[in-house]
Amino acid sequence: MKQKQRVGIASVGMMPFNRILEETSEEMAYRVAKDALDKAGLRRDDIDAWVVGSAVDAFSGVNESDKFLVAGAGGSGKPWFRNATSGSTAVSTPDLAYSMVASGQVDVVMCICYEKMSDNENSQKVFNYVYDPAWVRPVGLNVPLQCGIEARAYLHRYGIEEEEMAMLSVQSLGNALDNPYAQRGKAITIQDVLDSPYISWPVKVLDTSPVSDGARAAIFISEDKLKEIDDDPVYVKGIGRGADSYWYMGRRNNDLGRLDYAYLGAKQAYEMAGIKNPQTEVHVAEVYDPFTYKAMQHMEAAGLCEEGGAGKFVREGHARRDGKLPVTPSGGLLGEGNPIGAGMSRMTWTWLQVKGLAGGCQVDRDVDTAISTGWGGMYQYNATMVVGRD
Amino acid sequence: MSKTDIREPGVTIDGRIDVEYHWSAGVAGSRFFTELRDSGKIMGAKCPECKRVLVPPRIFCEECFVDTDEWVEVSHQGEILTFAESYFGLQGQRLEEPWYIGIVKLDGADGGLFHRLVPEGGEIKIGGRVEAVLEDDRKGHILDIKHFTTV
Repeated sequence: MKQKQRVGIASVGMMPFNRILEETSEEMAYRVAKDALDKAGLRRDDIDAWVVGSAVDAFSGVNESDKFLVAGAGGSGKPWFRNATSGSTAVSTPDLAYSMVASGQVDVVMCICYEKMSDNENSQKVFNYVYDPAWVRPVGLNVPLQCGIEARAYLHRYGIEEEEMAMLSVQSLGNALDNPYAQRGKAITIQDVLDSPYISWPVKVLDTSPVSDGARAAIFISEDKLKEIDDDPVYVKGIGRGADSYWYMGRRNNDLGRLDYAYLGAKQAYEMAGIKNPQTEVHVAEVYDPFTYKAMQHMEAAGLCEEGGAGKFVREGHARRDGKLPVTPSGGLLGEGNPIGAGMSRMTWTWLQVKGLAGGCQVDRDVDTAISTGWGGMYQYNATMVVGRD
Repeated sequence: MSKTDIREPGVTIDGRIDVEYHWSAGVAGSRFFTELRDSGKIMGAKCPECKRVLVPPRIFCEECFVDTDEWVEVSHQGEILTFAESYFGLQGQRLEEPWYIGIVKLDGADGGLFHRLVPEGGEIKIGGRVEAVLEDDRKGHILDIKHFTTV
């Protein structure tokens, strides 16, 4: 990946995730933008350009929701655009913010991802309009079935067990107890997960992340500018993205159990970062985990464990906060909440971990390198980012 | 989650969005649905380079990035690649009995159709065989195939 200048991260902006009916997207954007600026000791005038991302603005019943955010995000009178690649918006938007600085066009970019899901009365009715109108929608698809066909293919291919999915849920909801921004920190047992109702086999209610509202911000900044304000600079080391056809029933690889596009995203990011063995060179990971089995697929695609080995990896405790390669020590989407685009939280937590600012979620081991991933579309998109210090 | 986690809503402005649409089935899709209606045949589009028979058909092969140049009839029978059951309806309502959907790779095609599965001829399983059940009165629509039944 060619870059005109190195890119670091000056700070991140956080707010609790929850059902937040009383705030507009603009007000949420203001909270996280202001938080990021204050933490970095920067002012609105120091930002050269903005990129914002949301996944499905139909959830909030508005079209092109970015236009509501300009003032609240601080972008009045400045260059501005929005990015959308479904759920992978969560990391593809930071990837884009990186690229704007790396190109040398600008030095400081405010990146904000947000989602407002509670405005609508029936999120399934909104999801129905994500599906192809000629080939899929009339047959009938819903979110439970969407997960069911993918999860069944994954378990069938690799022999992953429901109990291993449950272990990951216990771990993530437990991790979220220490996350001040989390919606669903909870001490639960494997049996609680196994006893929760199926939404569609093998996925159960407690394998599923909660619907949420929220936003995240991060300030991407050139190396020279970052060194002026931070004596422990953390850089973007690698980015990668993969995509596959919307026609999931007719792809060259039509086994939904293996996410070729996610392997592709990780490969690019690792090549750029010079990472040859992610199992030893990545110190903590925040993978996109709207469902437990998705976390496991993404752990494998990112090379944190062997392909098909995520169940064993979780079972042996390696993914725990005190394990050899902690995965979503923040609690992830499962524990923190899942305002889809604002799943950018995965990326913000990797920066907090490297900086040692993760509070009760800080992992036991030293962290120099961390990765985050996003996922979205009809089993289509991945985005990956590696952050770390030199 | 405790009740205190949910803050009370402020003022809301209530409304609904109700717009009619006419979604194009596309060039390849129109041919597929017309053939299905008139002859009951399931057609695929063949790529001249990689020789894949694309179902659903497209006017291009997304891998070789060339025009598909031949229409090929494929079988009404095929294999279940994956499937799922749901106790929720399409409006999110709870159901007493499950319904099933899956991806069926059709014999003679490299892809397949996403469709409803009915276990009339035995258990639904990955790798299991199924056959399309067609409507008598067909309208040029994916639901001209009522469902796939296990055989």
